[in-house]
Amino acid sequence: MRGLLSKKSIFLFILLIAAFALPNFLKNKFYMNIVIMVIFYAALSGSWNILAGYAGQLSLGHSIFFGLGAYTSTLLLVKMGVSPWLGIIAALIMSMAVGALIGYPAFRLKGPFFTLATLAFSEVIRYIASFWKELTNGAMGINIPFKPGLATMMFRTKEPYYFIALGMLLLIILITFFIDRSKMGSYFIAIRENEDAAEVLGIPITRYKMYSMLISSGLAALTGVFYAQYILFIEPEAVFNINFSSQIALMSIIGGMGTIFGPIVGAVLLVPLNEIMRSAFSSLNGLNFFIYGIVLIIVVSWMPNGILPTITNQVKKRGLKVSTDRKGAGKIDTAN
Amino acid sequence: MILQINSARKDFGGVTAVNNVSFDVKQQEIVGIIGPNGAGKTTLFNLISGALPLSAGKIIFKGEDITNQKPDLICKKGVGRTFQEVKPFGNISVLENVQTGAYNRLSRRKEAREFAEHVLEKVRLIHRKDVTAKSLTIADKKRLEVARALATKPELLLLDEVMAGLNTSEIQEIIPLIRSLAEEGITLIVIEHIMEVIIQLSHRVIVIQHGEKIAEGTPTEVINNKRVIEAYLGEEITIA
Repeated sequence: MRGLLSKKSIFLFILLIAAFALPNFLKNKFYMNIVIMVIFYAALSGSWNILAGYAGQLSLGHSIFFGLGAYTSTLLLVKMGVSPWLGIIAALIMSMAVGALIGYPAFRLKGPFFTLATLAFSEVIRYIASFWKELTNGAMGINIPFKPGLATMMFRTKEPYYFIALGMLLLIILITFFIDRSKMGSYFIAIRENEDAAEVLGIPITRYKMYSMLISSGLAALTGVFYAQYILFIEPEAVFNINFSSQIALMSIIGGMGTIFGPIVGAVLLVPLNEIMRSAFSSLNGLNFFIYGIVLIIVVSWMPNGILPTITNQVKKRGLKVSTDRKGAGKIDTAN
Repeated sequence: MILQINSARKDFGGVTAVNNVSFDVKQQEIVGIIGPNGAGKTTLFNLISGALPLSAGKIIFKGEDITNQKPDLICKKGVGRTFQEVKPFGNISVLENVQTGAYNRLSRRKEAREFAEHVLEKVRLIHRKDVTAKSLTIADKKRLEVARALATKPELLLLDEVMAGLNTSEIQEIIPLIRSLAEEGITLIVIEHIMEVIIQLSHRVIVIQHGEKIAEGTPTEVINNKRVIEAYLGEEITIA
């Protein structure tokens, strides 16, 4: 068991070094962009994973927190010249406040109410962003004037963005890791698995759901700030989109909900697939979504726990010669 | 007196599931609750553990009014319970299930884990600690229910039909376990259908029918009580 564990940590260490060395070898801008998007999606889906994968609160409007983060820092930058680095703090507060607002009533109810609330809120916020023209410039979106520099978090080359995204992802992995190994993580999972049983073990479920919401919405806001500074253009249709929210969820579902590295596996698989599909079938509009859907159906029906838990179980079975389908992940059907 | 139930009442719409039930439980006592199906035994547990609010009445635990408090607070105060319909955290390991309960009193992961292992040894489930809870047999799931509740370090433990569905040898294994818990200082209220078990275990038996307490006393007193025989153990059928 120990040997297996240290092998795993050596593997992760090598992976980490490779990640830091990558920009030295990868000079192609197109591929670099894909890699940055993989990291960005892994981070965003990782934030979703804390709320949905661990605590079982299936959010289908996670773009709310991402988008609020993007809009908050961008408006502060464009209207008041506040550095996005400081904007991060405002973005965190804004997203967490809205997260608390959604969670406060919805977490008291059992069943699908929370999921419905996230869907409804994401539509409401998209409308607000589209029609409050004085503040958000409406559906036209906001162009961020390009002023390169560290203070403005804008760069001519892709490398700085790569390292910011990587740092963000590492932060989210680290937070997830500490949650996973702590009382909080156990309580999140207990709530996901069975609320009635969790309650009688002394777990204040509403409070713990709120913790997961605050952590998750804050981290999503962080990725939103990064996105705005990377793309330099945000619009309501892009950042408060329900399709986008389901993409965030899908990465974790496919990779393995409620596992530390599941969202990364999902993003590594789906983001390049999406990019390849988009360029390969550019003449046939929509075919990329079709193939994307098929991949999803295959993975979910063959590996309901996601790719990562299925693989680790296989490895463990071979390594230990014991039949266990151990530790894992929230299945999609037990999410609520 | 560790627990006092004063005129507890629970209405579901027009149906009164628990009607004016009062009884006391002394420290380290094993109290058995029997009654026909639908008599209101589990509802009574739900009232004590805070899973359901009372319609009327009072529940006092260690001199403190715990009526209508939230289940997690009641657990923190020292009341543990199991569910008749087992509710394991299916996708995580047996050890992690019990560890979650242990976090009630121990915040550090290592302590919680060690205590969980200790509890699993006690209920003889340690050999299954690494498998997922959903892959356990029903007998082992019942043990897991007990282990998880015990891990919260309760002073009062409510056991809801932990022996239902078990075979005779499994039952004969679990009886000494329950006795040892009482010896360690835990007060127990046990709901059970099997008369034999209740008589072996309990210091005192309470009989409930149609939500009302119809008898209370030592096991011998209760099984010779005329109302109990009529209501529960079976009356002689006379056809007019």
